[in-house]
Amino acid sequence: MKVSLTAALILLAASTVAADSYEEHDYTLNCSGCHRMNGAGSSVVPSFDGMRDLAGKPGSREYWIRVPGAAQAPLTDERLAALMNWLLKRFTDEAPEPPYTASEVARLRREPLRDPVGERRRILTAPRR
Amino acid sequence: MSRLDRWFELLSRQSARRVSRRHWLSRFGTALVGGATLPLLPVARAADKHVVGEDGVKGPEGDPTRCEYWRHCAIDGFLCSCCGGSHTACPPGTEMSPVTWIGTCRNPADGKDYIISYNDCCGKTFCGRCMCNRNEGERPLYHWYRNNDLNWCGGAKSQTYSCSTAIVVKAAKEPQPET
Repeated sequence: MKVSLTAALILLAASTVAADSYEEHDYTLNCSGCHRMNGAGSSVVPSFDGMRDLAGKPGSREYWIRVPGAAQAPLTDERLAALMNWLLKRFTDEAPEPPYTASEVARLRREPLRDPVGERRRILTAPRR
Repeated sequence: MSRLDRWFELLSRQSARRVSRRHWLSRFGTALVGGATLPLLPVARAADKHVVGEDGVKGPEGDPTRCEYWRHCAIDGFLCSCCGGSHTACPPGTEMSPVTWIGTCRNPADGKDYIISYNDCCGKTFCGRCMCNRNEGERPLYHWYRNNDLNWCGGAKSQTYSCSTAIVVKAAKEPQPET
């Protein structure tokens, strides 16, 4: 009886957490218009599949928050941090470790990139440490 | 009985003297046609709530060819439903752009907000009918992430804009913030 009650409480808590999460909603409203629902992008918008090439490389963690689409998105620091944790898990199969926090996102988005394409190239071609 | 007969006879003769047959036929015809067209009036249609639309979303039937239709709250363009397509499909000979303006609109039938995708149809010259520029929630150009004044056909094969659709993506968790 005790076990089933605990299990029921855990399930209830899990469903409440899922119901309160805004990641998919924020993705649809703020990202999917250009990057599309599946992240494939188009001839004029980069695909999120390209994030795999950057995963694990020095500077990528900062780059992903400083790109204009993320840094200037009309979202609070908390919601942007949650969205980026969700988005990276979805498109690179690995959630950032440690997860982004609101304070880290707040610091990074204050320094938007002037040349995102150049910065991406720099991260990809940087010699391994 | 004979009194009833006499009363009806009197009534018939009186009406025959006063009213011509053509007059009666025209009145009767008006009543017949008028009765049949009554349900076509907007008043009758407005009373018919909770009709399921093309994309399975319940709402007042409304008229997708009108700018006031609830899904058009953030649109800027010609309504495809006036241009040989519908509010969810492009007219023949045009291609739906993969990149799109997205916003939320409140469905008056259930009071809930829905995420609406205003995919443009591209490839034929601009439609020119049913221009609708509501753009609720849009911001000036310096808020680029909330500005709709782009050619969304940029992502399609042809960059010639024809008209705009209004597709329900899913229910929104909150209306689009005003900031």
